[in-house]
Amino acid sequence: MSRANAHPAHALAPAGSWRLALGPARSGRSILLDKRACAANLLLAVALLAACVASLCLGEVSIAPRAAIAGLFGYGDGMDVFVVQQLRATRLLAGVLSGGAFALAGCLMQTLARNRLATPGIIGLDNGATAFAVASVLGVGLGIAPPAMALVGASVATAIAFGLAGGIGTQGYRFLVAGIGVGAAFDAITRLMLARSAIDAANAAYPWTVGSLNGVGALALNMLAVGLVIGLIGAAALARALGVVRFSEGVAQGLGIRVGHIRLGALVLSVGLTALAVAVAGPVGLIALIGPEVARHLSSRRGVPLMGSTLAGALLMVVADLAGRVLFSPIEIPVGLISTVVGAPVLLWILLRPGHKIGV
Amino acid sequence: MSERPRIATDTRERRVGLWFGLLCGVTLIVCTASLLFGAGAIGPAQSLDTLLRALTGRMTDDNAWFAIESLRAPRTAIGVLVGAALAVAGALLQAVTRNPLAEPGLLGVSGGATFAVAIAIALGADAATLRVPVAQFGALAGCLAVLAASRVRGAGEDPVRLVLAGAVLSGLLYALTSLVLLFDERTADEIRFWVVGSFAGRRPADVIALLPGLGVAGLMVIGIARPLAALALGEHVASGLGHRPRLVRLLVVVAVALLVGSATAIAGPIAFIGLVAPFVARALAGPDVRATLWLCLPIGAALTLGADVVSRLVVRPSELPLGVLTALIGAPVLVAVVRSRRLPTL
Repeated sequence: MSRANAHPAHALAPAGSWRLALGPARSGRSILLDKRACAANLLLAVALLAACVASLCLGEVSIAPRAAIAGLFGYGDGMDVFVVQQLRATRLLAGVLSGGAFALAGCLMQTLARNRLATPGIIGLDNGATAFAVASVLGVGLGIAPPAMALVGASVATAIAFGLAGGIGTQGYRFLVAGIGVGAAFDAITRLMLARSAIDAANAAYPWTVGSLNGVGALALNMLAVGLVIGLIGAAALARALGVVRFSEGVAQGLGIRVGHIRLGALVLSVGLTALAVAVAGPVGLIALIGPEVARHLSSRRGVPLMGSTLAGALLMVVADLAGRVLFSPIEIPVGLISTVVGAPVLLWILLRPGHKIGV
Repeated sequence: MSERPRIATDTRERRVGLWFGLLCGVTLIVCTASLLFGAGAIGPAQSLDTLLRALTGRMTDDNAWFAIESLRAPRTAIGVLVGAALAVAGALLQAVTRNPLAEPGLLGVSGGATFAVAIAIALGADAATLRVPVAQFGALAGCLAVLAASRVRGAGEDPVRLVLAGAVLSGLLYALTSLVLLFDERTADEIRFWVVGSFAGRRPADVIALLPGLGVAGLMVIGIARPLAALALGEHVASGLGHRPRLVRLLVVVAVALLVGSATAIAGPIAFIGLVAPFVARALAGPDVRATLWLCLPIGAALTLGADVVSRLVVRPSELPLGVLTALIGAPVLVAVVRSRRLPTL
């Protein structure tokens, strides 16, 4: 087949999608945009924006939306500027970035394992990252910064989980239960280190263990921002191939896709994103499950909703943090607890629904 | 000629009896170690000396005797009781769900007991008197949830999926417990140390409060061991032999709730004992559930108490939460069971 035939200039987009030509019409470069996915992403982005504004406005001191946005850019009442810029903006940014990173990592791992339940949190990756980060905070490690140690921990946990799963395939539930075992062991190590350390050091490490956006470090946040940008670019590059990897390996190979390379790339992205997000927010693993779930319900089944997952994860994280701050003020509920209380029933429903499908 | 099968069962019974005796000996050694070693200043030599003096009726050093009698003795008794109870509960739950991974701590039974106690204390109940029945009630709710999940078509047939669901349920229950703790400072102070699983600081009266529940559960287990062995051959076989599977299942659930509720009430949630002890017992005793249950008693007791002794020694002068050690022992066993290619259904 000639190239002209493969990309005729007058090619019509398949139903339900737009064709976006890139460059001159005859160059044949174009991308297909799924209408429903676009609408879903737009909806999620608008909701995320609204949640962000609400998060800047609400809290111990309520600020009018207009004043909050003005305060964000340094205008208006000095008190408002201080509250918005110093207290809420960093926290909001941490929520958006970590939520997006968790959910994107979850979506990537679900796709590569072809299992909706295979999220980084469930196979013990969060706990591994937490254990190493806590070791760094307590000075047990080599003095490496917590985010870097979290990366090391997540990689170790992944290597162990996949190594153990080697003989039993990555698809089945056994893989996940092996992951639960790995996670339990790392959790025990974290608690062991906390028990051995002095009380003030243990207090410094405590936020790592429950999952909270309190006291986010600037270094971790910057690393996460860079990581998320890299992750999104990488995910965009992998998106097409990942859409095919969902099918059986034979189909993907027949279409000329190097399944091994794609899976490895997705795994590396997923591990990196999770580790950086854990370094900011602690183990809030269930965002990685619910974010892609929401995105999948909103967008069409044709592609892998990588962008949608990122937006949904960010939205969920911001809303969960806002709820934790506002609902029972002045008591602040850590975002990790909120996400577990909301996310666990969803997970149970996926698991126990009769006649269910766990494929992606 | 007709004697031959009898001889076969005799040797098996003798072997199980031998193991039982041996393991009881190990438990006794661990008990002695538990009396001798502590996190504090009173070392094993001084403890041994005090113990021998006390046994022969001579004058003893008051401090050392206090540590042994009031601190270590109740702790040892609790370790033995809790360990045996959790191990038997694990074996029962595994037999009735036909799932070698069904462990009360992993499946949310301990989580239910913990949550119930947190709620009760937050509502103003007196922690000392009400804790045991409340925990048993919570454990019963957790057990029923597990049994319901194991009857769901599809999920119940896959042993690994049930465990996944249980792990999620227990995560949910612990998150809810943490929420209750966040709201109520008094509750938090009362149960913060209990919620991580520990035997430290229990009084002899606490041990006595456990005995009725454990006694009733023990009698029930003796009653249902035979029907349970028949049930292992399948529901139809059990009905054919004149047992009622439904009733057996219900009794098992009540017994497990009593055992786990009592253990959790005094020691907090301790995971993995109910997985490791029956796993070892089955490896030694073979498939018969009655032999497994017998062997679970000393194995669970020795394992739990041994973990407790180690937890006192590794971070002296403070102590390690017991749940940490059991998780470190149990997680590899869990992975090993899952990894075995042909997951045995019980």
